[in-house]
Amino acid sequence: MEFLQNNLLTILILLPVAGAVLTLAHQMFWKQEGQLKWLTLGFTTLTFVVSLLLFGSNTAGASGYSFEQNVPWIRAINTNYHVGVDGLSFWLVILTTFIMPIAVLSTWHAVEKKQTAFYVFLLLLESAMLGVFVSLDLLVFYLFFEASLIPMFFLIGVWGGENRIYAAVKFFIFTALGSLLMLVAIISLFYIYADQTGLGGTFDLVAILDAMRSGNLSITPQAGTLLFLAFALAFSIKVPLFPFHTWLPDAHTEAPTAGSVILAAVLLKMGTYGLMRFNFSLFPEQSREFAWLFITLAIIGIIYGALVAMVQPDVKRLVAYSSVAHMGFVILGMFSFTEMGMQGAVYQMLNHGISTGALFLLVGFIYERRHTRQITDFGGLANVMPIYATIFVITTMSSIGLPFLNGFVGEFMIMLGMFQSQALAVTSAVNWNYIAAMLAGTGVIFAAVYLLWMVQRVFFGKVTNEKNRALADLSWREIGIMVPLLVLMVYMGVYPKPFLKRMDEPVRALQQRVMHPAGGTIAEADHR
Amino acid sequence: MNTFLLTDLVSPDANLSIIAPELVVAAAGVIVMIVDSFLPGRRSLTGAISLAGLLLAGVMLVSVWSTGPAMAWNGMIVHDGLRVGFSLVFIFVSLMTVLISTIWVEREHVPAGEYHALLLFATFGMMMMSAGNDLVVIFLGLETLSIATYVMAGLRKADLRSNESAMKYFILGSFASAFLLYGMALVYGATGSTAIHVIADRVATPNFPALLLVGGAMMIIGFGFKVALAPFHVWTPDVYEGAPTPITGFMAAGPKAAALAAFIRIFVLGFPLASAGYQAAGYLHEAWISSLSVLAIITIIVGNTAAIMQSNVKRMLAFSSIAHAGYATVGFIGAGLAKTPSGRDEAIASVAFYMLTYAVTNMGAFAIVTLLAEKNDRRTEFEDYNGIGFKSPILSFSLSLFMLSLLGLPLTAGFIGKVLVFRPAIEAGNRLATALVVVAVVGSAVSAYYYLRLIVVMFFRERLTDWRAPAVPAALAAVLVITVAGVLYLGLFSDGLIQRFAGARSAAVAFVEK
Repeated sequence: MEFLQNNLLTILILLPVAGAVLTLAHQMFWKQEGQLKWLTLGFTTLTFVVSLLLFGSNTAGASGYSFEQNVPWIRAINTNYHVGVDGLSFWLVILTTFIMPIAVLSTWHAVEKKQTAFYVFLLLLESAMLGVFVSLDLLVFYLFFEASLIPMFFLIGVWGGENRIYAAVKFFIFTALGSLLMLVAIISLFYIYADQTGLGGTFDLVAILDAMRSGNLSITPQAGTLLFLAFALAFSIKVPLFPFHTWLPDAHTEAPTAGSVILAAVLLKMGTYGLMRFNFSLFPEQSREFAWLFITLAIIGIIYGALVAMVQPDVKRLVAYSSVAHMGFVILGMFSFTEMGMQGAVYQMLNHGISTGALFLLVGFIYERRHTRQITDFGGLANVMPIYATIFVITTMSSIGLPFLNGFVGEFMIMLGMFQSQALAVTSAVNWNYIAAMLAGTGVIFAAVYLLWMVQRVFFGKVTNEKNRALADLSWREIGIMVPLLVLMVYMGVYPKPFLKRMDEPVRALQQRVMHPAGGTIAEADHR
Repeated sequence: MNTFLLTDLVSPDANLSIIAPELVVAAAGVIVMIVDSFLPGRRSLTGAISLAGLLLAGVMLVSVWSTGPAMAWNGMIVHDGLRVGFSLVFIFVSLMTVLISTIWVEREHVPAGEYHALLLFATFGMMMMSAGNDLVVIFLGLETLSIATYVMAGLRKADLRSNESAMKYFILGSFASAFLLYGMALVYGATGSTAIHVIADRVATPNFPALLLVGGAMMIIGFGFKVALAPFHVWTPDVYEGAPTPITGFMAAGPKAAALAAFIRIFVLGFPLASAGYQAAGYLHEAWISSLSVLAIITIIVGNTAAIMQSNVKRMLAFSSIAHAGYATVGFIGAGLAKTPSGRDEAIASVAFYMLTYAVTNMGAFAIVTLLAEKNDRRTEFEDYNGIGFKSPILSFSLSLFMLSLLGLPLTAGFIGKVLVFRPAIEAGNRLATALVVVAVVGSAVSAYYYLRLIVVMFFRERLTDWRAPAVPAALAAVLVITVAGVLYLGLFSDGLIQRFAGARSAAVAFVEK
């Protein structure tokens, strides 16, 4: 048990890898592809159960991270396998391990060809995602960040829809280009640290931040701006922030259901997480300086995503564009630099993972039955599939942000945060923060329009298409997949406190660091 | 130093033990020839002798890795980190080539004895190039290597493309050798010595003839040809495409690394950064650094953009090898710019390590390309790889892994190699060097397109025509296991190995730094 406690994060990362190896071995020796989904389900569930041990994490070490592990990896470039969780990454780790078994369950009948490879990639993807959220060494972070690309690339490219090759390559090139520039920034940071501290370079985030706090390391504004932009570009592509979003609708639409779910629920969060973890803490001045840019782009994303979603004939593409809008909200909250807004942003990350993930699952269910996703092919489904319709409507409400459902809490906090924000109001008499919050508010209205309109056309009225008359309602497996998600939607909407409590401290520390970097609050910025 | 004392003639500094690994390889080559003439056509026997010889040489090298630096043979042979690091790369490449060639030798009825002997002599030549501390020894090593490689490129006598390849390689190679030799002669004329440590000493005096600059430029051209730096790379694609596939793999990883080793030895250790006051030497140093930086930038751009346009896998790999030579040169320039001897040694070690990661990846890729090529290398177009992904998962996933490693994706050997090799250039803090690294990084991003293309073709497309996965012979399976494990090992757990590479110092520390 102690071993488990001491190596918990490493075990979490390696469990899915072990599952992948076993899957391969199983296929090699028994050649029973039908059993693989059980094996994968077992391993993802086990990972989830093990990850619940993280809840017992009140043992934060000196650097403010729990379950920390720090082992030299490649001494020649002084990089360490340094992992740990804090309140910021905690929920994202749980979200990842939680969504994986659900994604696996959704593939039960959907994946018929090349199952071995599919499940292997799914498991490897989980490892990479967990690695991203827990690494505290910049190079190791980069490593996992890049490593998560490959499985997704294959998931889209092999098991995707008609236009899958285009979507897969676009996805890869967009993200890889951004992250390569980030790599240059990471290496530059290594040398800036080496130059100024005289201790030799390091990739260790904690060490770099310590040096910044103690004044041993101060990045010049010019270098800081370049580095900030390099990091921000990599993450903005991943989020994706307008105008880097063009890969997303293609990737989402072409990906198999499980791929879309993971993409929406976890992969996009890597971008927002990266911005908070690295950009805010490493470059607080630049974060504040560029807040206007990110807020503007976020608002454009919110409105643009909503408008484009409105005219989509394909349900899945509609949900994909709604993702652009929702992630815009997250960015908005983060760059409001108020505690309320930033907490709301982190909360909204989780909400988006759950609601949008659920929407993609639901779209997948109907696609398996009808092999089409065109809104015009449906109509009056509520008469044929009442359970499906009920769940769909609840999920839609959660995505729109109806009170008492999770989306409301997040969006409300973000907009409240934006109203109080001082990130914009520095320069002029116009209260830009009010305008920003109001513009973002229209996004909520638009969301109601495009989602409800879609629901109306798909579910209500008479059954217009004869093919839909004999559709079977959800099976027990499908209901089983949705129930935990529905429970969470309600729970997070009614009682957000336990979630917010955990992220409270690190978010406050970050907010302090960005808004009062120069004052005497440097010690406070440390969230130990 | 030109005045030979009688004592030098009476007791030459003959230290056989220092060149024992080279001797073992050469002896194995001779034994193979003898065995072949008495017992002709015994493929597996000559192959086994070659493997044994190479392995023995490798073990001997590893056992003396951290000893040194030492010189022998009146300063003509040097034993140091550069020599051991690069020689291990050569030995690895040759070992893999012998194993990969087994199927090819069988398929094409190549005279195996000759082939194995040539390969061993080529290896001997490469090892001499990295151990030579004298322009003459380096040139002799280069010619031993080149002549053997010319013949190997044309081994498939009945094939026109193979003949064309050998002919082109021969003519252009000789042309480059002439440049190199002329450059060496001029440097000798300017400094009065062919020994590299003496040249380094002489260069560090306030006055030296302008001849030295011309000599240096000629040598850059000569080595540029051998390393295939743009614009001296034009021979590469044709030669690589026409040569038998295992030989192509060998040429891309072996001789290139050998030329790079000698290149580094002459320029980094022979024309070092001068100490203050010697402005003339500083000018020489600056001249070669800046011209080489420009060459590296052009190489990376040309290699990557041309690779995008290829429809043949071998040609694509040829251009990719050009780009990789450019990346390696970044580390080379970093070594030249290093301000401390230990920094320089680390940079040199990183280039050697980079060539090792490239060799592991490249040999693995060529093993698979060889296997899929069938007789006469017919199947090397991208189309021939259409949809084979899930029909032969082991081969295709291994090939994908190699492509990702060439691309430099994390968790693979290529990533660690690239980080190590770019590092010294960034550390130098020089504007040109930083620009070089940015070009190299953008080049890597561009290369994603053509490396991924192979993966896309294999996995995402459907196979329309009939295709049966080839059986994997034991020797090739061994290569695959070694290279796949190598790529992952170097990508994940290379810490110890890098320490060994970086731990061995280069000879110049002992001789130039007084």
